[in-house]
Amino acid sequence: MQLSKADLLKAYRMMKTIREFEERLHVEFATGEIPGFVHLYAGEEASAAGFCMHLDGRDRIASTHRGHGHSIAKGCDVHAMMAEIYGKKAGLCGGKGGSMHIADLDKGMLGANGIVGGGPPLICGAGLAAKMLKTGGVAIAFVGDGGFNQGTTAESLNLASVWRLPCLFVVENNGYAESTSSKWAVSCDDFTDRASAYNMPGISVDGHDFFAVYEAAGEAIKRARSGGGPSLIEVKINRYYGHFEGDAQTYRGPDEVKKLRETKDCLMLFRKRVEGATLVDAADMNKVDTEVLALIDDSVKKAKAAPKPTAADLLTDVYVSY
Amino acid sequence: MARSVARVGIVANPAAGRDIRRLVAQASVFPIAEKRNMITRALSALGAVGVNEVLIMPDGAGLTHRIVRALRAPLPEGQVWPEVRFVDIEPGDTAADTLDAVRLMVDDGVGAIIVLGGDGTNRLVARAAGEVPLVSLSTGTNNVFPSVREATIAGLVAGLVASGKVTRAEACFRNKVLRLSVNGVPRDLALVDLCSSPELFIGSRALWRADGLDQLFVSFAEADAIGLSSIAGLVRPISRRAPFGLWLDLCPLERASRVIRAPIAPGIIVDVGVETVTTLTPGAQVPLRLKRGVVALDGEREVEFAPTDQVLVSLAEDGPFSVDIERTMIVAAQHGLFVRTGGSEISAASGAA
Repeated sequence: MQLSKADLLKAYRMMKTIREFEERLHVEFATGEIPGFVHLYAGEEASAAGFCMHLDGRDRIASTHRGHGHSIAKGCDVHAMMAEIYGKKAGLCGGKGGSMHIADLDKGMLGANGIVGGGPPLICGAGLAAKMLKTGGVAIAFVGDGGFNQGTTAESLNLASVWRLPCLFVVENNGYAESTSSKWAVSCDDFTDRASAYNMPGISVDGHDFFAVYEAAGEAIKRARSGGGPSLIEVKINRYYGHFEGDAQTYRGPDEVKKLRETKDCLMLFRKRVEGATLVDAADMNKVDTEVLALIDDSVKKAKAAPKPTAADLLTDVYVSY
Repeated sequence: MARSVARVGIVANPAAGRDIRRLVAQASVFPIAEKRNMITRALSALGAVGVNEVLIMPDGAGLTHRIVRALRAPLPEGQVWPEVRFVDIEPGDTAADTLDAVRLMVDDGVGAIIVLGGDGTNRLVARAAGEVPLVSLSTGTNNVFPSVREATIAGLVAGLVASGKVTRAEACFRNKVLRLSVNGVPRDLALVDLCSSPELFIGSRALWRADGLDQLFVSFAEADAIGLSSIAGLVRPISRRAPFGLWLDLCPLERASRVIRAPIAPGIIVDVGVETVTTLTPGAQVPLRLKRGVVALDGEREVEFAPTDQVLVSLAEDGPFSVDIERTMIVAAQHGLFVRTGGSEISAASGAA
């Protein structure tokens, strides 16, 4: 696994953008200006970046209700995402979808999804299209530990295996389905145990380590592109915030998140590794930090100032003509 | 003479057997449910040979939960299980759990530790086990150090050694070990093989690509081994008991003095170029050729090093003790330890076979 300096900086920028996007939303949501719900991805950045760094225009992803990170990693415009979350007309979906329905088909982002377990069936379709059209594309569903218990996921795993689709099922196991511990609510001890039942390989990776995710993702994607079929990858990971903003998180230990931030922060670990190995200068990454903060700040300012959809917009985008 | 309290430790790595080699090769999967079953079979055996207490490493991955449920269920008729205690660590589901748990087991005076894992798990246990002998059962990917044995038999031999029914002198042998130091500070060890590679990152840990492998050091090399040590084993087999190891400088195939086709991971048989082969004597400090890269210990990338680091490898004869399972059972049989009634004379066979 060799990554150039440019690759390393790209990965760092991707993760840092996700982190700052979420940290800022955490602050802004508390002001009451943002409509609807937001589910923050902070802490899980290495998963989205580790997979999406391998993707290009041929590839499709489907996300979850916690979809900001995947959207940014797949190349969705940060300004348009922020406007969407604020419910503004300049948003990616015209301000009518909000956080849980961010989608950008031009970028191969099939959508965040308010339906738990809604993503896996979508990628079976995208995977079948890629296979039939011989594009060499792959389709990835990011699913939570709660979503992985849904029937839609089980059907999709079966279908992808039977049709040998170029699909990856990525379980981002952050330990809680809303407030229910996965240790309590998941029948198997490890999601990879389910893979053999669908006749596909299953592996676990440490989601705090970008390099571990990146390498595993690369191998699974290479396998899928070359006709090897689907894989199941469990990314063991943690979220820094509640299930949704406003969640009191009474189900978590008192210092749980503090300890995670101090010891398992994927951005901190990434910087330590690349700086320690003298592969990228701290100054280069500091510059990324500054640029990302400015980008997020600008996106919030513009989103706040942008106009809302009008009454006439209510009747657009309702039906699609094929 | 038997000890008054016989204690045995059990370390089962819940993560063993789940790494990327399931994706890039056809490595076997070892479900947690089966690890639980192995532990319960070992408990039955430990109880049968008079072990009073078993200390188990807790985990957060579900194994502990399953064992607790097994302990609550009625025992099969006629079985007596030892008292089971989970050692007092807060599981973080990292390698540190194993080190912490083994240290506590050693402090509590266990007479043997049963290890369920692959070479990587045994490496961790070895770092903390001191003089306590290991009974190593394979549940990992590259399994050269541990053997594929029935857990019941592992429980019997661990109990026989821990209770003193078979002496350490009769049952145990000492392993060699490869030691790694970085900038003069001891960093880690390998039980079977240590390999340097120009890969920049530890990444998903396993090392399964042959291209780029730079130097391979082995404490022993079996011709029928799986993993990187097989390269050495197919050049010059070296037993676990031999007082030396081997060191191979590897190279691209076109520059190789010999090319070895070796099973470097389950299902992966590749050609590897060998430049030179040197006997590795205990105590010799060998610097790595590469200036930047990673060091894999027993098949897993563990240490990243930069041009500023001085990395040295050496072989030592003071590795962990292992229980020789077959030898222990033979000694037990010779001592009649399993004969419950009657004499030990065996009549000559008569009549047609």
